[in-house]
Amino acid sequence: MNRRRVTVGVAAAGVVAGAAGLGVLAMPAGAGPAPDLPAVSAESLVESVVTAKPAAFGGTVEVANDLGIPALPGMPQLSDGDSKVRMWTDGEGRFRMQLPAGSAERTVVDDGAQVWSWNSEDQTVTKLPHDAEDRRRVDEAGKSSDPVALSREVVSALQEFSEITVDGTARVANRPVYELVLTPKPAERTVLREVRVAVDAELRMPLRVALLTNGTAAPAAQIGFSELNVGPQDAGLFSFTPPAGAEVKEETAAEPTEQDKAKAEEALGQISQQVVGTGWDTVLVAKATPELLTQFEQSGQRPQTDRGPRRAEGDVPQGDIQEMIKQLGKPVSGDWGSGTLITSRVGGALIADDGRVALGAVPEQVLVEAIGQVK
Amino acid sequence: MTTATTTAVRAPLGRQLRSELRWIIRRPRTFFGLLSLCLVPIVAGVGMWVAMDGDGPLGPGLAAIIAGNGLVLPVFTLFLSLPLLLPLIGAIWAADGIAGEAQHGTLRGLLLAPVGRVRLLAIKAFGVAAMTLIATALMALVGAVTGAILFGGQGMLTLSGTTLPFVEAVGRIALTVLLVTVQVWGVAAVALAISTTTEHPLVVMATTLGGVILFNVLGVFEALDWLHPYLITSSWNSLADVMRDPLPTDQLWRSTALAGCYVLIGLSLAAMRMATKDN
Repeated sequence: MNRRRVTVGVAAAGVVAGAAGLGVLAMPAGAGPAPDLPAVSAESLVESVVTAKPAAFGGTVEVANDLGIPALPGMPQLSDGDSKVRMWTDGEGRFRMQLPAGSAERTVVDDGAQVWSWNSEDQTVTKLPHDAEDRRRVDEAGKSSDPVALSREVVSALQEFSEITVDGTARVANRPVYELVLTPKPAERTVLREVRVAVDAELRMPLRVALLTNGTAAPAAQIGFSELNVGPQDAGLFSFTPPAGAEVKEETAAEPTEQDKAKAEEALGQISQQVVGTGWDTVLVAKATPELLTQFEQSGQRPQTDRGPRRAEGDVPQGDIQEMIKQLGKPVSGDWGSGTLITSRVGGALIADDGRVALGAVPEQVLVEAIGQVK
Repeated sequence: MTTATTTAVRAPLGRQLRSELRWIIRRPRTFFGLLSLCLVPIVAGVGMWVAMDGDGPLGPGLAAIIAGNGLVLPVFTLFLSLPLLLPLIGAIWAADGIAGEAQHGTLRGLLLAPVGRVRLLAIKAFGVAAMTLIATALMALVGAVTGAILFGGQGMLTLSGTTLPFVEAVGRIALTVLLVTVQVWGVAAVALAISTTTEHPLVVMATTLGGVILFNVLGVFEALDWLHPYLITSSWNSLADVMRDPLPTDQLWRSTALAGCYVLIGLSLAAMRMATKDN
């Protein structure tokens, strides 16, 4: 019967359309054609980024990590995989940031006077005074030095160790951007192949940063806007009222007492920190004194009393840290001593058993060389 | 006058839809089914109320903000029921619609009646869709009342730490009802397609639930992450976005569109089977 055939035909088309719809939904959103933008030299692009004024915007930042490091509980933004950060700023220092994690959320609001931090997991609000002093200092520093001169300095500092190029244009969060590429000079011994920064053509604000390593085409880490609305934001976003029933912890950043200062100085004195290498090879090396190390070990052996179910997931008890380091890395040894090497796709950390630590975006050999220089 | 006598008089669609709905609601098992669904928010609410001892969160995710915040209970209950209970309910309506009629031998009469088969399927699909909406709305209503009584609270505390006024809170609950209903429609449409191929309602329920469980299992394996965007179950976790403020809509739209694709595929397959079905 003709009518039956029509029905079957339409229904078959419906199945195909539904399947095609699933395919479209599964595909990542296309970025669209690269926009035509006036050519710009890499130097002037970097200079414009340094001198750009902060803009008011709201948007969603997507973080895609493929670093090869284990997951940190409660913080998907720092672990491998994809995660999101939602942020709003009025361009004048007030901001709001929301970090969704599963069906929980952390919110940080800086309303200009206070910094509020909310965690839905335990319904707690932490209140910190907004560090106005620091900001004034930064402002003054910014004013006193000529921004153009500062930007020149940044450019020459970058060019000392890297090639800076503008690699065409692209679209990020539906906005036209220039792709700025920083490539290490051949003499640099780093595991990174290049760093790509997408700079907004109008705002001159970095919209996406991608770290690319040797041997792979996909970025090892990428952070960038997936959605961006530039313009004044709803003022209500920059205020926070602690919800009824939430526990409000007030942390006063009052002047540190003399005792605190002495303690901090003592702790710093026990860690001798230095930088080995320059440019991309920079390795941060630190050494904890034996006293600090024994303290650390003792705290590790302290019996754990708070192993109740109420313990927040994100807390790592002190004692587990050394265990964790051992689990994360592989044991290595050499002329310099022995320790644990933790590698990720963007660099590594070498933790010697005697308290020396070397950290950098470099291969193992450079870490070993650096740690050898610490006495 | 003359035209009225010469053309075949078709029953108005509205009357057919109403009669289908009346048929479903009048069944005793529908009444008991809805009654047991109403128990879910009550049991969940009382359970958490008993567990609430003043310090520490009640649990992970949404449960953590439920203390003193009763209007979250309907949302929490709907998300609690979405992975298994609500798909089962949708599958039951869908199984009754076609396979149930076939089992009782009444489908033959319907197929022979001067009603187009596509129209018959549309009426059956409407019955399933309406009953799903009624079920979720009822759960939300009972949940809201239970929550307000047990936990109280002014407005609704979101996961982001903001408090929504009462009207907006009711809007969020209504949005959750709609979003969850659409997801159940996606499952029920596929169940309806299965329903047209068999005359055993139990087969429909078992196959649908088995499928949902299989999808949940597939969603766990990281090695299959290329498959996850196609699975209707994988978008259910992102529905928790409804409790964030400001409301992020992109994932909600995406999951609704995904369920829409399942509805389209399920109903098309059902129509294909109905059109070619022998009397």
